[in-house]
Amino acid sequence: MEVSGDHKFEAPRTAVWAALLDPAALKASMPGCEKFEEVGTNSYDLTIRIGIAAIKGTYTGNVQVVEPVENESYRLVVSGTGKPGRVQGDAKLMLSDEGEGTRVTYTGEVKAQGAISRLGSRLLGGAARLMIGQFMKAMEEQVARREEAQDAKEKGA
Amino acid sequence: MAVVTPKMIGERIKRREDPRLIQGLGTYVDDIKLPGMLHLAFKRSDIAHGIIKSIDVSEAQSMPGVELVITGAELKEFLPPMPIGTPFPSPDHYSVAVDRVRYQGEPVAVVVAADRYLARDAADAIVVDYEVLPAVIDPEVAMQGQPALVHEAFENNLAVPYVPGGTGFDAEAGTVDNSAVDKAFAEADFTLSQRMMNQRLAPTAMEARGVVAHYEPGKDTLTIWSSTQNPHILKTFVAALTGIPDNQVRAIAPEVGGGFGCKINIYGEDYVAAALSKQLGKPLKWIEDRSEAFQATIHGRGILAYVDICGKNDGKVTGLKIKLIADIGAYNMILTAAIPTLTMLMLNGTYDIPAIRAELTEVFTNKMPTDAYRGAGRPEGTYFVERAMDMVARHLGMDPAEVKRKNFIKADQFPFATQMGAVYDSGDYEKTLDLALKNANWEGLKAERDRAKSEGRLVGLGVSFYVEVCGLGPSASLPTGGWEYSSVTVERSGKVTATTGSSPHGQGNETTFSQMLADQFGIPMSDVTILHGDTGVVKQGIGTFGSRSQAVGGTVLMKAGDKVKDKMARFAAAMLNPNEETDASEMVFQDGTIYFRDAPGNSVTFADVAAYAYVPVPLPEGLDPGLSEQAFWEPSNNTYPYGCHISMIEIDRDTGEPKLLKLIAVDDCGTVVNPLIVEGQIHGGLAQGIGQAMIEEVVYDDDGQLITGSFMDYAMPRATDFPRFELDKTVTPTPVNPLGAKGVGEAGTLGSTPCIVNAAVDALSEFGVTHIDMMLRPEKLWRIINQGGKS
Repeated sequence: MEVSGDHKFEAPRTAVWAALLDPAALKASMPGCEKFEEVGTNSYDLTIRIGIAAIKGTYTGNVQVVEPVENESYRLVVSGTGKPGRVQGDAKLMLSDEGEGTRVTYTGEVKAQGAISRLGSRLLGGAARLMIGQFMKAMEEQVARREEAQDAKEKGA
Repeated sequence: MAVVTPKMIGERIKRREDPRLIQGLGTYVDDIKLPGMLHLAFKRSDIAHGIIKSIDVSEAQSMPGVELVITGAELKEFLPPMPIGTPFPSPDHYSVAVDRVRYQGEPVAVVVAADRYLARDAADAIVVDYEVLPAVIDPEVAMQGQPALVHEAFENNLAVPYVPGGTGFDAEAGTVDNSAVDKAFAEADFTLSQRMMNQRLAPTAMEARGVVAHYEPGKDTLTIWSSTQNPHILKTFVAALTGIPDNQVRAIAPEVGGGFGCKINIYGEDYVAAALSKQLGKPLKWIEDRSEAFQATIHGRGILAYVDICGKNDGKVTGLKIKLIADIGAYNMILTAAIPTLTMLMLNGTYDIPAIRAELTEVFTNKMPTDAYRGAGRPEGTYFVERAMDMVARHLGMDPAEVKRKNFIKADQFPFATQMGAVYDSGDYEKTLDLALKNANWEGLKAERDRAKSEGRLVGLGVSFYVEVCGLGPSASLPTGGWEYSSVTVERSGKVTATTGSSPHGQGNETTFSQMLADQFGIPMSDVTILHGDTGVVKQGIGTFGSRSQAVGGTVLMKAGDKVKDKMARFAAAMLNPNEETDASEMVFQDGTIYFRDAPGNSVTFADVAAYAYVPVPLPEGLDPGLSEQAFWEPSNNTYPYGCHISMIEIDRDTGEPKLLKLIAVDDCGTVVNPLIVEGQIHGGLAQGIGQAMIEEVVYDDDGQLITGSFMDYAMPRATDFPRFELDKTVTPTPVNPLGAKGVGEAGTLGSTPCIVNAAVDALSEFGVTHIDMMLRPEKLWRIINQGGKS
């Protein structure tokens, strides 16, 4: 199932890029994220709790950042297993300038196996969009916080 | 033999089963509760194809209340692969996967626990690590050996590489002479070709599967309750696999809430319950949930056909070539490989086509296996032939009913040996066609369609004719044996108890068989009890499939009844004329009395004769006490019922949504014992046929994930999807059995699919479309309307 969309950040590209690669910001932005642990370069093990209808459950898995092109794009490869089945995702995020801010455009594919596929396939797209929306909103906050911290650091210096 | 005046046979008697069923007073497998009973749950594969790298059962095992967790590899030590009932080479198929999974939903481990919910939770806690292999989904790609092999030993995924049939095929020599077929096509005025898919369906019985197995160690006996269509076959197979002698196994089919063929099979869950009950010495229960039923109960249909049909411009069809590709899924179940051969057998349809070439290939894919589903191979054959005949009519601009008439096997040609090797027993197709056309007001309907079309509405008419092989059958054509068994006992009170091996799951045998015995003995129907579905009570049996209950089971019931009646007549004769030599065949059984034909005024009551037979003082010479007899009987041939279906459909020009406006059916199933039950069977068959034509389809995605895994995604037809069915019948008895009954249980699924698709093509004819694959999804029809005839 294909999922695509975009989100506007009121921050410069370099700041958005840095936040999107920051494990702390990623963890804080992922909805229901209970564990987020670096296990290699750009590779993280995670546990996520999802509370949406047919795909409800706790998923453990791995997320990898692949093919990063600084300030331009990267791919997120996600796989997770939970009681309702397995989920695999592969999304490309692209950054572009828009006025003073940055637009993040994403296109990706979500695959499900097991009960999620059987029972939840019609809900999966909606759930994925909902979660990506939550992620982007939270990430916006993370970008702002990082900028404030940066400002504070500069002022302090 | 005594004379019987038919009274109940032919009457519209309400089913005596229904009051208990609609009041919730029936006992189904899930109602069986035994002391100390434990519950099973199956961990099933989430992936379609892969190697099992490891199974971690530690968490499941540690849960309080969990008695046992066992994997396929462990079960293999004491549970052999499942047997099948077809002669084709077959890969080992274990009840629980051993080292590799081949379809989503295949069991990989089993939990035994104190309750059903705990068992499910524990199964969820099992962690399986797979090496995922590419899923084999498209049968035509699979035939190239791509993208993987489902079974290493089966090259190019060919389960059955090539079975030829038809004109010039010599089964004994195994040779094929194509000259007649080639000549027909070379000399034809036209040839039409079409690829047609008869899509996969889910049987979706209202009651899903279920089993209770109770092994008693002290007696070394196993009692197994299962929602099955054939308890005697279940008993035989379970005995063979568990090593318990078959005279120590009792199988019981209590109320069975629908089967439609899917409960012919004996499934892994049945064997596992039996084997683990023996292992643990405790009763075990497993009840399938709906999600499991979609994944792991056999599917039906799934046959692709490449059809070439040729003929003369006057409408005479001279040749037919059909290449069948059956997508049978991951394994052979009991009849899997045989079902598509029934498609082949019926490719003559109702027509005298002089040259036919059929070829069949069966292909393994990573899907749930297919097997018998209402019609089992014959609806597919009917669909391909009837679509092709409709294409001929459309090509020639002829009335499709007239093209059929021109090509029909004529009434004086029966018994008719077809090019495909069947011998049709009896028929008068034109009579049935004429009645259907008359009932439909065919000319009026055509005018109505033309008027609607001139107003810009997309209205179409379809007509189809079918013939079906039923009343299975001689033992030569069934690996289980093709007979049936019955016993009839007149009790001391004069009540009658009969047993039948025809184990019903909605056929209403208790009603029709009671009607028959009531007539035979001249007693009220309410004095007759029919027992079935318990191998401890019914000594032998085959079961219910292939529309055989009435034709085979009904006939053998009558045979057993005749034996008892002969003996009872002799007891009655001895009572009436104790001192004379009399002819018992002159006895009449009527209104609860027995008398000599020429002395109706001097009678004994049925009950008095029964009492006498059990305390026979004096014992008449040459007679033993008691009134209980049994019979086995098998027919010399199958039966071939047939019928004509006509439909009218309208498709919304803006949305593509189809609506079935009319369905007129005339069916001929020979002698009818109970018209109400026959009509009910036709209604059910039509519902499932209309479902296939219009809204039902099992869909797997490219990774072999079942997308239609619930009733939210798999569309079941409802009453509001149907017009009022306009039914009628012709009666052409079969010479194959003394009743003249042919069978009707599957008929509705045969005529309905082609007649509806023919109507849809007719409705969309202005867009140049010549064929539409089922089901008639609005989006598909919208594309035809909006994209110039391309779906």
